[in-house]
Amino acid sequence: MLVIRNRSLRRLLRVLIPFVAVPAAVLVGAYVFKDKVYAYISLIITILAIVLFISGFEKRETGSRRMVIVVVMTVLSVIGRFVPVIKPVATITVISGVYLGGEAGFLVGAMTAVISNFFWGQGPWTPFQMFSWGLIGLFSGLLAGRLKTSKILLYAYGALAGFLFSMIMDVWTVLWMEEGFSWEPYFAAITTALPMTLLYAVSNILFLISLFDPIGKKLERIKRVYGI
Amino acid sequence: MKPLEKYNPAVIFLYFLLLASLAMFAANPVMIAISVLTMNAAAVAYSREGLARSYVFYAIIFVLTSLANPVFSHNGVTVLLVVNDNPITLEAVLYGVMTGFMILSVLLLFRVFSTLMTSDRLLYIFGRAFPKLGLLLAMTLRFVPLFGRQRRKIENTQRTLGLYKDENAIDTIKGKLSVLSAMTTWGLENGIVTADSMSARGYGIKRSRTSFSMFRFERSDLGLLLIVIASCTFIFFGIATDKLKTDFYPRMQLPPFSPYATVCYILYTGLAIFPLVAKVAETLRWKWISGKAYDDKIKR
Repeated sequence: MLVIRNRSLRRLLRVLIPFVAVPAAVLVGAYVFKDKVYAYISLIITILAIVLFISGFEKRETGSRRMVIVVVMTVLSVIGRFVPVIKPVATITVISGVYLGGEAGFLVGAMTAVISNFFWGQGPWTPFQMFSWGLIGLFSGLLAGRLKTSKILLYAYGALAGFLFSMIMDVWTVLWMEEGFSWEPYFAAITTALPMTLLYAVSNILFLISLFDPIGKKLERIKRVYGI
Repeated sequence: MKPLEKYNPAVIFLYFLLLASLAMFAANPVMIAISVLTMNAAAVAYSREGLARSYVFYAIIFVLTSLANPVFSHNGVTVLLVVNDNPITLEAVLYGVMTGFMILSVLLLFRVFSTLMTSDRLLYIFGRAFPKLGLLLAMTLRFVPLFGRQRRKIENTQRTLGLYKDENAIDTIKGKLSVLSAMTTWGLENGIVTADSMSARGYGIKRSRTSFSMFRFERSDLGLLLIVIASCTFIFFGIATDKLKTDFYPRMQLPPFSPYATVCYILYTGLAIFPLVAKVAETLRWKWISGKAYDDKIKR
């Protein structure tokens, strides 16, 4: 089994993946398998992107308190996925991203997908869910300053997150069901999923209204009291 | 032959990964038929509960994928009917059905995979490559039931204190939110205690630390690994050199039955039937052992 304790090996991995492994996967897919299996290639690239992110995370020193806070937020969002119909997963990911930083947001989103799929069913869609929710958390961390000051921007981001999630997952749907990507089935998939997408967007806004300030205040307090 | 659960998780992981990719890459009707049959049997043999409900979901996916292809793809020469000036062809329908079966077999394979790959096995595989992430995963998995129990405790307490009502929808939501609020505070504080306890026990010390695991790499694991890699290489070579190619457009062709292709089919059957054989062998051996124990008891 591959053991990446070695610091230089991890650094090598961070260079190898974006500049060698991803192009290699695309080229092998294009020439050897003649673009027959887009779904599989994009699956591999998604996994590689997540590995790339994680290798950066492994390299850095993280305090144990900070790490456990990330775990607690992940657990809250995993449990949130058991709420019927409307799911606060994206909201808790956004809150983590805003208050704990983009990296924490990515981890909460991605780990929620892995862990909750132990209950909801793992499948080839897991890496895509990891990627979509992770990105929602990462971007919310990057926009943290603006999202904290402007409520309108925050709710707009929540709605956008709902659409973003649906659109990324629909790319996967089309890749999986069709031979390769084309716009016609993609638009069909988006149209069929429109009620769900709207539900995501609306529930994100509702949850942000009811949860953002209370949980944010608690996180701020914990950060101040325990000096994280 | 030992049961599949007893093999090294890394070997099992690689086996399922390669099996799934073969099913997806090949696009060969014979191989897909083999994998649908074997994976159905394996899913029945390995599933504990909820298989019937999953099959409803699989059926929906199957119908959707089978229909999607003829609706969006109009290649093929045998026109069955014309809808809105768009021909629906027999070839496109057949191809859609094949894709549907392919996805069905992969979904079933993932089902067997997730009953075998328990979280401790996944941690064994990924925890070494990514120690910190492995710890995060392990802690999250432990916290989920803990938080569930705490949620019930808080809910009961608030109910007893008369703070929690669920007479109408608004009350229910308010109640749930106040439970969530208490849960968040408790979870964060509890997390800090856990973190301090971890630090006190030496987490984060700059020396290589080892962790306990139940799994070893035995000779049988090496055997399985070699067999899997050898036969997958053989089949992948066949796919890459178009020896297993079956054209659907413009007219559907019969799948190839050249000597090379036939060997591929046999190898693939051997690979795909392995989980089922292991399970049946295990059950038979168990029956035999318990039967012998029963006989011994009678004799005494």
